[in-house]
Amino acid sequence: MAIIERPTDPAPVPAVAGSGAPAVVTPSQAYGVLRRPVSSTGWRSWVFTVDHKKLGIMYGVVAMFFFIMGGIEALLIRLQLAGPEGTVLSAGLYNEMFTMHATTMVFLFVMPMAAAFANYLIPLQIGARDVAFPRINAFGFWCFLAGGLFLNTSWFLGGAADGGWFMYQPNASPLYSPTNGVDFWALGLQITGIASLTGAINLIVTILNMRAPGMTLMKMPIFTWMILVVQFLLLFAMPVITVALFLLMFQRSFGATFFDVAAGADPLLWQHLFWIFGHPEVYIIVLPGFAIVSEVLPVFSRKPLFGYRFVVFSGAAIGFVGWGVWAHHMFASGLGPVSVAVFSVATMLIAIPTGVKIVNWTLTMWGGKIQFTTAMLFAVGLVVSFTIGGLSGVTHAVAPSDTQQTDTYYIVAHFHYTIFGGAVLGLFAGFYYWWPKAFGKLLNEKLGKWNFWLMMIGMNMTFGPMHIIGLQGQPRRMMNWTEARAGEGFFNLGFWNRVASVGSFILAIGVFLFLVNIWYTHRAKSNTPKAPLDPWDARTLEWITQSPPKEHNFDKVPTVHALDEFFHRKYEVDHETGEVRKVATAEEILAAEEAQGDKHIHLPSPSYWPIILAFALPVMAYGVIYNRLLIVVGGLIVLLAMFGWALEPSVADDSDYDPPAEGGGTNKELATIG
Amino acid sequence: MAHRNINMATVRTVPHMTRMSRRMTRRRTLTGLGVAGAALALAGCAQDAPQDTWQPKGDNAQMIHDLQWPVFLIAGIVGVIVIAVIAYVIVRYRDTGQPMPEQTHGKPALEITLTILPALILVGVGIPTVTTIFELAETDDTECIINVTGQQWWWEYDYPAQDGCGGISAPIVTSGQLVMPADTNVLLRLTSRDVIHSFWIPALNGKKDTVPGRVHLLRMHANEPGIYAGQCTEFCGLSHANMKMEAVALSAEDFETWKANQLEAYTPPEAGSLAALGEQAYIANCAYCHQVNGLSTTAPDGTVTPVLANPDQFVVSGAAPNLTHLMTRNTFAGATWDLLTPECRERVWNAPPEEFGALYLQGVTPECLNQVDLREWIRNAPAKKPMYALPSQAANSGGLVRGMPALGLNETQIDQIIAYLLERN
Repeated sequence: MAIIERPTDPAPVPAVAGSGAPAVVTPSQAYGVLRRPVSSTGWRSWVFTVDHKKLGIMYGVVAMFFFIMGGIEALLIRLQLAGPEGTVLSAGLYNEMFTMHATTMVFLFVMPMAAAFANYLIPLQIGARDVAFPRINAFGFWCFLAGGLFLNTSWFLGGAADGGWFMYQPNASPLYSPTNGVDFWALGLQITGIASLTGAINLIVTILNMRAPGMTLMKMPIFTWMILVVQFLLLFAMPVITVALFLLMFQRSFGATFFDVAAGADPLLWQHLFWIFGHPEVYIIVLPGFAIVSEVLPVFSRKPLFGYRFVVFSGAAIGFVGWGVWAHHMFASGLGPVSVAVFSVATMLIAIPTGVKIVNWTLTMWGGKIQFTTAMLFAVGLVVSFTIGGLSGVTHAVAPSDTQQTDTYYIVAHFHYTIFGGAVLGLFAGFYYWWPKAFGKLLNEKLGKWNFWLMMIGMNMTFGPMHIIGLQGQPRRMMNWTEARAGEGFFNLGFWNRVASVGSFILAIGVFLFLVNIWYTHRAKSNTPKAPLDPWDARTLEWITQSPPKEHNFDKVPTVHALDEFFHRKYEVDHETGEVRKVATAEEILAAEEAQGDKHIHLPSPSYWPIILAFALPVMAYGVIYNRLLIVVGGLIVLLAMFGWALEPSVADDSDYDPPAEGGGTNKELATIG
Repeated sequence: MAHRNINMATVRTVPHMTRMSRRMTRRRTLTGLGVAGAALALAGCAQDAPQDTWQPKGDNAQMIHDLQWPVFLIAGIVGVIVIAVIAYVIVRYRDTGQPMPEQTHGKPALEITLTILPALILVGVGIPTVTTIFELAETDDTECIINVTGQQWWWEYDYPAQDGCGGISAPIVTSGQLVMPADTNVLLRLTSRDVIHSFWIPALNGKKDTVPGRVHLLRMHANEPGIYAGQCTEFCGLSHANMKMEAVALSAEDFETWKANQLEAYTPPEAGSLAALGEQAYIANCAYCHQVNGLSTTAPDGTVTPVLANPDQFVVSGAAPNLTHLMTRNTFAGATWDLLTPECRERVWNAPPEEFGALYLQGVTPECLNQVDLREWIRNAPAKKPMYALPSQAANSGGLVRGMPALGLNETQIDQIIAYLLERN
C-alpha cells in the first residue's frame, strides 16, 4: 500500500519499497546530496510528483497537445482530399500523415486522455488517497511523454512511419519502407505501451484493494467499473502488441525474418498479432467514453443509472467477447469461410451488450428532469453518434457485405462515429463535468454550447458523407481521388468530399473553442467565480471533498452505504410515494466529514527515479536505430534508476526536508489537519 | 439535435430510402412492394460512381447485395427508432421545473426483453450471412482460370493454357484490364510478388487480399459484356492510390476473338517506318524490363536472337507489364491513365452490352490514342506516378527500383517508341 499512516507514536517509518530496515538505510545516508525532491511548489512539484491528481492533469495536458497535433494532421488530409488530384501533400507525406494521424489519435490522445480521467478520478471515486503504486504511476506518465516525443521526432529525422497505423507486413519491412519512420513507430509505441501496462496494473490493484469502507464492487461508481474493465483489457492486450512490436523491431533492426515470405514466413501472422491487440484496443478506446457518460447522464437526468447491474455486466461482457472478434478486421484477407463465419457471428454477438448500453442510457433519461448543461449535451451527442456508428458496425459484421465495405471510406465513417462519436464526445462531456472538480472553476457554459454544436455539426459533416463516399467505392488511404471514378449524380465523390473537408474545419473550430473556453475561464482578469462545492448536484464520492481536492483527497475517508453514496447523503427517498426530499447540502456533508478528519496522513513522497527511468528508454531506442553504443548508455541509466528506485523508501525521511521554518512547524507534513 | 442527426448521419440509410422510395413508388406506381421497392430505389438512383458498391453486375456481387440491403434497411429502421426515442425523451423530460423524478433503478423484465429483441434480429441476420459466406467461397463451379498477381503498383493477369475459358492453347500474359468471358464463372487465383494488395471489382464481387506466398481464390462472374472499374484496396505503399484495375467482360464469341489476337504472332514494323526506328529505341531502352513476345534482333550475319526481358535484374517485384498487345487494352501504368482519349473512352464505357464487345476489340486506334499522358509517362514516369524509381531510392533493395525510372529519352525517341507501341495491337 502506498499510503502510509504513520502511527501516532514516533516509531520508525515502515518502509515497503524493499530497502529493508529504514533505520539503517535512510535516504539522506544513502544518497547524500540526492535528497528527495519534496518541494510542494514550483516546477519540481510537478516533475517529480507522484500525486495521482497532478499526474492526471499532466496526462491531460500532454494528450491535449497530441490531440491538436493529430487534428492538424487530419486537416491536412482533408485539404488534400477536398478536390480531385490533390497536391497539398506529396504521396509519401500523405502516407506519413494518415499513419501518424491514427497513431497519434489512438495512442497519444484517446488512450492517455482516458488515463488522465482514470488517474485523476479513480482514487477520488473510491475514497482513496492515492493509487496503489504512485511512483509507477509517475513512471507511466513519463513513459507516455517520452514515447510520444520520441515517436514524433521521426518527422525531423528522415520522415515519420508510412505504413498505416496497422503497419501491415511486408509493406512496413525495411525493403518497402526504407526510412526510419517505422522503427520510430515500433520503438515509440513500445515505450508508450509501458505506460498503458503499468497504468493498468496500478489501477486494477487500486480499485480492487483501496476502496473506501463499505464500497462493495456492486456499490462502485459505474465510471470506476468501466475503467476497471478497460484496465483488464489493457493488461491482456498490451503484451500482444509488445510481442508484435518486438518481432517488428528485430525484423527491421536486427535482420530477423518473422514476416519475411522469402524465408518461409506468412505475413498474416502480423495481422493476427496486430488485431488480437487491435480489437480489444477498440474497446479500450471507447469504454472510457461510455464510463464518463454513464456518470453524466444520471446526474443531469436527476435519476440513477437505469439498470446499473446490466450496464456493469454488459461492460464486462464486451470485455470478454471483445477478444473473440479480431479477425473481422481480416474478412478480406483470405481466412477461409469457416473462420469468417465464426468471426462474423461473434461480431454480431458483441452488438448485443453494446446495444444494452444505448438502451440503458436512454431509459436513464426517460422520466427524468433533464438539464442541458454542456456536459449533458456532449453525453447525449455520444449516445446518438454511437448508435449510428454501432449500426453501421452491424452492416459489416455481415462478412460478405464487409468485403465490399472494408478499406473504403464507409469504414472510416463507421469508426469515426464510434471513436469520435463514442470516445471523444465522452471525453469532452468529462471535461465539462469534472473541470470544476479539478480546477475549482466552471467552464463557461455559453462558450461550451458553441463548442458542442460546432463539434457536433462539424463531426456529422465530416464523417456523415464518408458513408456515401465509401459506398460509392472510394478506398481509404489514397493520396488522391480522380474525376474518372467520382461519378456525377447526387452521390458524386466530388461534392461529398468537399462537404467532408468543410466539415473538418468546422469541427476544428469547435475544438478550438474548447481551448478558448479554458483560456476565458482561467485568464488572469477572469471574473469566473470559484465553483460551488457541488455544482451539478452529483451522486458520487469525488464530490465529498474540496474542489480542487487537497493533496490527500479526503480529510476523512468516507464510509459508503449505498451506490450513489453522495446522493443518498443529500436526499431522502420516500419509497412509498417515490418522493425525493433534500435533507442536507454538500457543504454540510463535507463539514461533517472534515470535522472528524484523520490527524496524521502521510502521502508517498516525490521521487526523481520515475522520470529518469522513463527518459532512459528513448535513449536506448535511439540506440537501436542509430548506434548500438547508445543502447548501453541508456541501459546503464535504466539500471541505475531501478536500483535507486528500489532502495528508496516510499516516504521521505526527516532529513530530506529543509529545517523547520521560522515560527515552528515543518513543511514535512504534506497534509496536516486541523 | 436528434433531428439534425437523423438528417445528416443516416442520410445513406433509411430516411433517404423511404423518401426516395415514395417518389419512385409514385412514378412507377409500384404498390405493395414497400421494402423491396425501397432497396430497388436506392440501387436505381445511385448509378453514378463506377465503383458504386450497390450496383451488382454479376452473380457474386448480387448475392452480397441481396444479403446486405435488408441489413442496411433493418439497421436504418432501428437507428431511426432509437434516435426518435432519444429525441422524444430529451424533449418530453427536459427540465421544466418538475419535481425530482422517482429514483428508479431499472426494470429487469424490460431490460431482458430489450436484450433478447436485438439478439433475435441478429439471429435473423446471422443465418443468411453464414450461408452466403459459404456460397461465396464455392469454387467448384468455375470454368475458367485466370492468375492475378499484384505488385507495386499494377496487376498482371495470366491465362494458363487450359481447356477452360473456351480453350487456351498457350499462356496469355496481360495487365491493367482483366478480360474475361461474360456469363461464365471465372476462378481468379490471386497472389502477390511483393507486399499485400487487395483485388476489388465492386460490381462483380467483394474484395480479396493478395498475399505474397499465398494463393487466394475468388470467383468472378459478370452478367453482361461491359467494363467494370476496381481498385487496389489494401494499402500497398507510395502509389497505392494509383493501383487501379478494370475488368472487361466479353461475349463468348468476342472472347474467342480476343484470345486469338493475344496469341497472334509478332508482326515487325514495316522497314524504314517510324515504328521501325521505334523498335530499335524500344530494344535499347524498354526491353530490359518489358517483354514483347516474338521480338528479336537479327545480326548482320543473319543470326536471330530473341529479345527477352529481365525485369528481375532491375525492379524489386521482378516483373514489368508485358507490352505485346498493349494497344488492345485501354489503360496503362496500373490502369491509372487511359490510352484512349476522353471521347473514345466515353464511347467504350457507355456502350450498351450488345455493342460493347466490338467497340472494345477495336483497341486503341491512332486517332483514339491519348498522346498527352503516354508521352509524359515515357518522358519521366516517376514524375507522373510516385514510385521509388530513382537509383538513390534503391539503397535498401540492392539497387533494384520499384516502378519505371526516368529513361532520359528525347522527343524524337518518344515519337518513335509511341509509333512502335501503336502497332502492338
